[in-house]
Amino acid sequence: MQITERQIDDFKSERKDIAPPLPVVLRLVPLLFYCSIAVAVILSSIFAIQFQLAVQKRDSHKAQTASLAAQTQDAKNQRTALESQIKKATDIQNWVASSRPLQPLLVEIIRSMGPRSSIVDLRLDREAGNPSQIKMGLRMGTDSTKQLDLTVEKIALLNYRAFSPTQTLGRGELDYKATLVHQDPLRQQTGEVSQ
Amino acid sequence: MNSIDLKSILNFSAFRPEPDDSSASWKKRFPAEKTVFFGLGRAMLSWRGIDRSGKPGELESVRAEPKEILAQTSDHIKPLAEQGWCAVSLNTRYVISLETNLSRRTGSEEMLKSNPRGVLGGRYERGKRYALTHNPETNSSILLTFDEDQTRKTESMFSEAGFRVGRVCCGAYVLLKHALAQTNTEKGSEKSANTFYIVCCEGAVCALVQDQDRWLELRSRTDVYEEDLTPITDLLAPFHSRLSPEIGITLVCDEPMEELPDRLAKVFPGRAVSDLSQPALLASLMIQN
Repeated sequence: MQITERQIDDFKSERKDIAPPLPVVLRLVPLLFYCSIAVAVILSSIFAIQFQLAVQKRDSHKAQTASLAAQTQDAKNQRTALESQIKKATDIQNWVASSRPLQPLLVEIIRSMGPRSSIVDLRLDREAGNPSQIKMGLRMGTDSTKQLDLTVEKIALLNYRAFSPTQTLGRGELDYKATLVHQDPLRQQTGEVSQ
Repeated sequence: MNSIDLKSILNFSAFRPEPDDSSASWKKRFPAEKTVFFGLGRAMLSWRGIDRSGKPGELESVRAEPKEILAQTSDHIKPLAEQGWCAVSLNTRYVISLETNLSRRTGSEEMLKSNPRGVLGGRYERGKRYALTHNPETNSSILLTFDEDQTRKTESMFSEAGFRVGRVCCGAYVLLKHALAQTNTEKGSEKSANTFYIVCCEGAVCALVQDQDRWLELRSRTDVYEEDLTPITDLLAPFHSRLSPEIGITLVCDEPMEELPDRLAKVFPGRAVSDLSQPALLASLMIQN
């Protein structure tokens, strides 16, 4: 015969409201709950890491932007400096270009100086509103007016006519001031013919 | 659904049987919890801790009035059970008898709890609790009877001491069923087992004669022995003349008793003694079933 060893007979006073265990399939409920918590933790970790990386990247971009802005400002400053230099150079160029018509006059004045005469100060000014008139201030180291006459004569040969000349002689220096106006010889001739 | 139900689902305890659900095995009820097993005699209390892995610990016992022992040593025993859950083996004040012609309807053994009168008929007594094991080949049955008041007193005694009783059983009956299951393993009557079962459990002795699959005689006494084993042999000696020559002896004890097989060999000369005893056998059976 066969006698199987079954459950032990229990004589304990039974409680009435003993509930049977829940079906094994329902273990999925807490398992899914814990899985969802694990997934949430993992996703939160990934998010936190990504957030940190994004913050670092943003800070890096900010630093890069600031660096580029500083470089741009440097370039602007350099450009401003260059423009300033260009303006100075242009001014000098313009000055040289504008002074070119006066160079024969200057050369003639310098060449007119005799052995005992010297130019202490020479000044030629042109006004922007009236560029055809040249205000000349000449201070010479000489003890006679002959040198001045010679110089004025040389100036006249260059078709400049002196208006309102003033001269002052004293202490071995002659100070001469006049307004020179260039007269075109062709126009003079045309005027004479028409008269 | 309240917070307790929710907690029980989240910690998976809702998927395990409740601690006092007697339909579930001890192992399933307490899968990772320390519990304690008590053996209750008339003037003796023994206890053994069960660790979280279900391994029985060392057996300790004191001979005195169990209620007094429990009152004095409960603080020492309580740490062995985390939540206070314990199983109690009642080794006294029970009756194991051999009955015939009891109801064999399907589920009759389980029906004993709900409707014992329907199973036992005229043998039913009010205020008793029963357990039953049928012989599948004959009309005989082994009937275990407990006094209900005594069981309740035992439960309240342990409850007052701060324990929660998860199981009350009879150690000798558990061991007897184990021995029957170990020796009667093949279906049919072609290979019948002839043996004289001797069960010893903390002072209680039960003897059953099985001849050609028939249960012929059963004798059960409680509080028979303490240290000296002579009362056991004195109780069993009269069986010698009534046993057939081919019947061997199957011995089952809750703890191996070294001297007993030799003594039995002297009382029953010429009979093979098969000792099924193992250390903490009763505790192991209580854990597994």
